Amino acid sequence: MKLAQRFGALGALALAAFAFVARPALAQDGEKKDDKKDEAAKDKKDEKKDEWFAVTGGDVYTGTGAVLRGATVLSKNGVIEALGHDVEVPAEAKTLDATGMRVYPGLVAINSSGLFGMAAGDFADSVDPYNQRMLLALASGITTAGQSNTALKLKRRDIKNVVLRERYLATLSFTNSNPSGKREWVEKFDKAARYLRDYREWEEKKRDNKDLKEPNASGVDSTARAILEGRVLARFNSSSREDLLEVARLAQRFGFRPVIDGCVEGWTVADELGRAGAYAVVTPRDRRDKEEQLVRDGGSSIENAAILHKSGVQVCVIPSTTGVDLGGIAGRDILHLPIEAGFAVRGGLSDQAALESITIVPARLLGVSHKVGSLEKGKDCDLIVLDGDVLHYQSLVQYTVVEGKVAYDKSAELFYAHIRPRPTDQLAPESRQDKGESDEKPEGAKETPADKPAEGPKPEDKPEDKPEEKPEEKPKDG
Amino acid sequence: MTILTTILALAPALGGVSEPSGGLLAIKVGRAETVSGAAIEHAVILVDNGQIVEVGADLPVARGIPVFERPDWVVMPGLVSCYTRLGVDSRAGQEFSPEASPTPEIFPRHPDYKEVLEAGVTTIGIYPPGTGFPGHAAALRPHGATLAEMLVDEDAYLKVYFRANAQAKKQVRDAWAKVDEHDEKVKKAKEKFDKDSKGKSSEKKDEEKKEGEAKPEEKKDDKSKAFVPPEADAKIKPFLQVRDGELGMLVSLSQAADWAHWADAIGERKLDYALRVVMTREIDMFEVKEEIGKRGLRVVMEPQLSLVQGTMRQRNLATELAAAGAKIAFKPRNDTAGDHAAWLRHVGEIVGAGFSRDLALKAVTLEPAAVLKLDKKLGSIEKGKTANFVFLSGDPFEPSTQVMAVMLDGEFVSGEVKE
Repeated sequence: MKLAQRFGALGALALAAFAFVARPALAQDGEKKDDKKDEAAKDKKDEKKDEWFAVTGGDVYTGTGAVLRGATVLSKNGVIEALGHDVEVPAEAKTLDATGMRVYPGLVAINSSGLFGMAAGDFADSVDPYNQRMLLALASGITTAGQSNTALKLKRRDIKNVVLRERYLATLSFTNSNPSGKREWVEKFDKAARYLRDYREWEEKKRDNKDLKEPNASGVDSTARAILEGRVLARFNSSSREDLLEVARLAQRFGFRPVIDGCVEGWTVADELGRAGAYAVVTPRDRRDKEEQLVRDGGSSIENAAILHKSGVQVCVIPSTTGVDLGGIAGRDILHLPIEAGFAVRGGLSDQAALESITIVPARLLGVSHKVGSLEKGKDCDLIVLDGDVLHYQSLVQYTVVEGKVAYDKSAELFYAHIRPRPTDQLAPESRQDKGESDEKPEGAKETPADKPAEGPKPEDKPEDKPEEKPEEKPKDG
Repeated sequence: MTILTTILALAPALGGVSEPSGGLLAIKVGRAETVSGAAIEHAVILVDNGQIVEVGADLPVARGIPVFERPDWVVMPGLVSCYTRLGVDSRAGQEFSPEASPTPEIFPRHPDYKEVLEAGVTTIGIYPPGTGFPGHAAALRPHGATLAEMLVDEDAYLKVYFRANAQAKKQVRDAWAKVDEHDEKVKKAKEKFDKDSKGKSSEKKDEEKKEGEAKPEEKKDDKSKAFVPPEADAKIKPFLQVRDGELGMLVSLSQAADWAHWADAIGERKLDYALRVVMTREIDMFEVKEEIGKRGLRVVMEPQLSLVQGTMRQRNLATELAAAGAKIAFKPRNDTAGDHAAWLRHVGEIVGAGFSRDLALKAVTLEPAAVLKLDKKLGSIEKGKTANFVFLSGDPFEPSTQVMAVMLDGEFVSGEVKE
């Protein structure tokens, strides 16, 4: 206990040294909090022992842009307490050695189905934390997922505190194929905007004039109001250029940030969408033909995500199928979230933006970015340990940690344990270190028939980013 | 030696008197699987008036007592099938009816009862069908022309069908909240009673009996009378009985998540209950075996192996649960008379796959009897217990073994034993 207390302050100090991880102000806040916690801990005595967990030695990709090579991530009771190089790990902490491996924030899938059991609602009272789909999703790196407009944590063997947030997205039907629906929404927003303007005015004036009547809220659409107040995000399902432009104009007119699902032709109007502060939920492999009778640009483009991102649109990636297909290797389901993001990279999206598209951006869209989506002090300790770049199709998740507990260990579960088994000390003492810096494996890509996507990210797409990949680590395929 | 002396003392005394009534009988068999203790070779079991009077190896039998001697046979306690819908249909409802009993449905002359009795099943527990709280189960003998003849115990266990969903959890929480409410009511009534009896109020209060009133109900005829707690609602009574240990409770679950949510729904409450685990091909119940084992719960399940999901790897859930500390009670694989007949063979398969033989014997007799809260009365070959026996041609779990005769309450009800 004492050690833990001492550590709390030390950890915070150590953290303050890392400008890229936490601003000094944050660290100070942390210290204050720690002091309070210490007092509380004294009161409680040994009633509840702190649970420490540390991932050491890995290259930590925080998701915020920083890469801390050979750093330590320390978690206390499931929340990141510190991360960096000079982190003192308490003696009682459970540790996970990630030397030679990469540590990323746990992936976030904005849509999913079946990961939490058969139920489609009331997740707190029905989640099945033992089901195979959840385990498979953890094995593919997903630690948070949205289902039925609820943000849920993939907590294996635990039914407590699974629901992170509910109803943060409101789906609106706003397309050119439904003109009356469009008109209705414009009217609703109009009314809500007028009401909010009146309300603000009333708030201003009532200080001087107490008799002033509060504006009447009746007839104001609650969804439109919540969107304008920023309490929920408006979600649209639009892919055609015309629909996208309409959404962008609506959002700009009423001053909210739209979430656009599909967004296939977004690349043709990316600047408009960027100006509207849009979020795009894209499936880079989506295909859509250009309407040939039109002169303008159209159809799908592999560069969609990259162009959108360049224009300031926050891009979130999701595969076309959001369930888990247990019937075989489908290759397009939720288990291939990073591969889908890899396709965005193929179209020119930066690695960092691609990582964000499956971590922090979906976390923002689910309204849980204060808890998950990146590795930062104070966020949940949800992370994945991989043997290579998360966006590379040959990388395998070795460990998935959810709230400071190992939820998945590749060698302990039967799914992928046989593929490139983790070397033990006796078998291959140095196989993970100081090798393969310049190793490319073009022939490896050819030799694996299971890796179907022919246009997958070739190793040359990101050469310097995989120091630990070696030719002998080729998938054995079965 | 004490056994010897008792039997010698007892035998002539009883023998002379009871012979005309034909009560006393000595059974001599090659081997007796007593279940409660070790197996007895050359066993002699003395039965009187439907009860086991004495059990031992090679006990001398006093002259005059009829002896039923089968040196090649093996005897074991009558099988107990504690969870069945034999002879009744499977129509089920969804209403909250914990007070309901399945006995009105039972048709005593249903051929299934005769069939399972001939297969060695001497006690059955008929449960009420339905989800949530469909009622309580009744323990019966599968023998008799009327319900009264069949009935052993009308209140065996409260059946709970629980699945991981918000509705089921709410129902459980609500039920126990009502129990607390009732307790509160009783407490208040008691306080009032104490105060009144001290204060010696002059007028006699009328007997009030209105259910569902916020005001505490009282039942008082006389000041001198002892405190009578307010009557509980019929729908709450079974829960009070469960809490007080008068009624068992059997909770049906089908997967590990059901267990997790059940444990969450009952919270810290200390309850005495057994689990019914519905075996399926790819059941994941082993995920929570430690939790179940830690509580030492009794688990009613089919003698069946399961597979690890998505694979052909076998798992022996019964063995794993038993190793974790749970008590296993088997039920026939399917709820048919045919599977009751094949029951021992199926259990034998589980024994072949690693389940302890001793536990397997218990799992078809004493453990299911305990689920029915009848383990003090039957389920093993012990002095003082009901004389329910299955006579077998050999080892109970040998596939070639046949049921030779069945004794129910000291009477042969099946088999060629007339001499």
